[in-house]
Amino acid sequence: MAVLRKPFSLLSVAVLLSWLALLAAALLYAHPGLGGVTISPPAGLILILQALFTAVVFLYERKLPERLRGVDFIGLLQRLLLGPALLAVASVGLHQLLLVVLPGMAGSVLHTIFYTLNVALFVGLLARTNYAWRALVLFRGSERLRRQWVAFEVLLGAILLLRLLPYAPPIGLSAAVLGVLAAFGAYLSGRQKWVAYLNRRQKMEAVLLQLAIIGVMSIFVAYFLYTKPAFRLVGPAPQNAFLLLNAFFAGFYALMGLLITLFNLPTAGVFEQKREEILSMQRLTQLIQRGQTTAEVYQMFFDSAIQTTSADAAWLHIEATDEEDHYDLYYQLPAHQGSTIRSTLAEFNLGNLEYFNNDLSGGSFGRLQLPFGSLMVMPLSSSKRQYGNIYLLQELTQAFDRESLSILQTFASQTVLSIENLQLIQASMRTQRVQDELKIASAVQDSLIPKNLPIDNWFEISSYAVAATEVGGDFYDFLHLPGRRLAVLIGDVSGKGVTAAFHVAQMKGIFHALMQENPLARNEREKYPVPSQFMTQANDALGRCLEKSAFITASLYIIDYEHGGFVFARAGHCHTLYYHSIKEEVSYFQTPGLGLGIIRHDGYEKHIKNQFYDYNPGDVMVIYTDGIVEARNAAQDEYGEERLQQMLENSYYLDADHIKAHILADLHEFTKGQPMHDDQTLLVIKFRSAQPEAGL
Amino acid sequence: MKITQHATDTTLTLALNGELDASSSVLLDTELSKPEILRTQKVLIDCQQLNYISSAGLGVFISHLQTFQDANVKLVFFNMQEKVRNVFEILGLDSLMTIVPSEADATAV
Repeated sequence: MAVLRKPFSLLSVAVLLSWLALLAAALLYAHPGLGGVTISPPAGLILILQALFTAVVFLYERKLPERLRGVDFIGLLQRLLLGPALLAVASVGLHQLLLVVLPGMAGSVLHTIFYTLNVALFVGLLARTNYAWRALVLFRGSERLRRQWVAFEVLLGAILLLRLLPYAPPIGLSAAVLGVLAAFGAYLSGRQKWVAYLNRRQKMEAVLLQLAIIGVMSIFVAYFLYTKPAFRLVGPAPQNAFLLLNAFFAGFYALMGLLITLFNLPTAGVFEQKREEILSMQRLTQLIQRGQTTAEVYQMFFDSAIQTTSADAAWLHIEATDEEDHYDLYYQLPAHQGSTIRSTLAEFNLGNLEYFNNDLSGGSFGRLQLPFGSLMVMPLSSSKRQYGNIYLLQELTQAFDRESLSILQTFASQTVLSIENLQLIQASMRTQRVQDELKIASAVQDSLIPKNLPIDNWFEISSYAVAATEVGGDFYDFLHLPGRRLAVLIGDVSGKGVTAAFHVAQMKGIFHALMQENPLARNEREKYPVPSQFMTQANDALGRCLEKSAFITASLYIIDYEHGGFVFARAGHCHTLYYHSIKEEVSYFQTPGLGLGIIRHDGYEKHIKNQFYDYNPGDVMVIYTDGIVEARNAAQDEYGEERLQQMLENSYYLDADHIKAHILADLHEFTKGQPMHDDQTLLVIKFRSAQPEAGL
Repeated sequence: MKITQHATDTTLTLALNGELDASSSVLLDTELSKPEILRTQKVLIDCQQLNYISSAGLGVFISHLQTFQDANVKLVFFNMQEKVRNVFEILGLDSLMTIVPSEADATAV
């Protein structure tokens, strides 16, 4: 039981005790000598007890938790009416019934008990109503309004205290005080923000509930007026001023609410339509986020437009584009009627304009004999494209106005936004797919780069390779041949991107295919192709598949580290930079050689030469792609062969890794802050004197 | 990249100005793809203002090489800057194409 729970338990006990005291006083006052008690309490005591009881009941109600749950205004009114109001009315009804059935009851003890009980119920009802109205008045109210309400309560309390004084103010003063309070109450009754939150049905309910509350109030006023002259219970006017004032406020508030709700009833439809429009707009917006198809967005737009404009017939026409066919949606409109409307509009150059006609009986439309009175047209267009039009028809004339046109316009622009959003999403998904595929290509290409460099104690190799884009056109590879020989291939496919990457893979395939042992060889030398043979065969293979403007540059080195020599051929690739330890000199090997895929008929072998060289321990070979020597600085100067040569002159005595690091540090210094335009590959091979094997 | 044309009865001279890279090589390709070019006897390329040539630019000349040879049209380069000539030489194109020092030499070819 809520009554027993703290902190209300004390107050509820006080309510009960004060009522019992009031009852006892009333009984002794009305029936002197009852139960052998001869003391008759003075009239003032009854007033004090009644005021005390009223104060305690109001305090009790004031401390109850907030009655309004969210925006459940109807629930609040229902609880008020079905709870204390019904109870009080039932009790009054019972009392009146008993008076009729038992004629001797008037003046009896039971009558006094009933009367006192009804006073208590009425006070309870007033308190409950007062605080229910407080919840409504203060709904979304400002802090100022809250303070005004407190002032109102204080004034009411002051009136209550006034009753306790033996002093009876002159009629004029009390009338003025009451008038001020009544005006205050009327002012507060104007606070009816909550009515706006009701829909049409709820407003009807609110009207009925408020009528009922006014009814209950009048029953009580009539009851007190009726019983007043018969008994000595109710004192002079100021005594009941408080109750009457409160009843006046409660009734007045209900009346105001009633009137406002009644005046609001015709607009409830508009509110609901607005609400429906907002919901449609939300649904339309949500469709985009769910990434639905354009057809669904059009359907959604079509349905929303028909619903909000209450159209009897409609047609959505989306024009055909290069990629898509035209798209039409009809609602209770034969296609031929749609096209006659469209061509009539086109005659007047109104084809793609916002337009409404509220009387189709005259003019050009009259001749069409359409079963409709009003027409509204809204184009769907963006700065990029004219999509099409929606045609809405109503049987009534004067059915559309500027308002409906502007709502439809909002819908149309939202729809176009959705469609273009969808197209953007689709486009970005396509781009994403291409990027994903490029990532795969990049990963595949990465797997083609040799991860493990050849290791032997006759030489050191250090490598560096970076692609400018996801997939590059540079390549290098190693292959061990029998007889302590090593084949080294480096090259560059013209162009960039996936095509170049594809040719890189092809070139690697050719390398591994051609560098196989020839089983028909008559002697050791013929078992593997010499570099010029390899280039001729590669040119032949590539000539059949490279596009006309594409070519490949490559150099193939076959190092025989058993005999301390190498042979290489340069097919249009960058010159080999070399440090000769015997001469202590750095120079480029100047050999002729034509790139692969440039001439596609016989005769390539005339353009390629082999170069033989016997190396010495300490010699350094630097092979690279044009991304190194053509790298540019901020002034657009190229790094160049000369600077590369200088770098090797400064660092030939280091080991291969450090020579590479020395060159790269200088290159990065040179190109600092500049974007990378081309793939860069750099291999440094340093020959060493033969290290005797361990244990030999 | 700017391409200036000068035509006589038998000769078409194209003066290249700027950098011949992937994007500008499309322009050059359009010029060299015109059918009437195969009716001239000589196409002279003035490389005086050509500061840079990328592999895409080289690819344009390479792709038309065979067609010109078949139609008996001579392709002659002149006034070539040293670093551009170096690019032609590294790729070995100097053995396939005629590169001469001056316009006078070019007309004499």
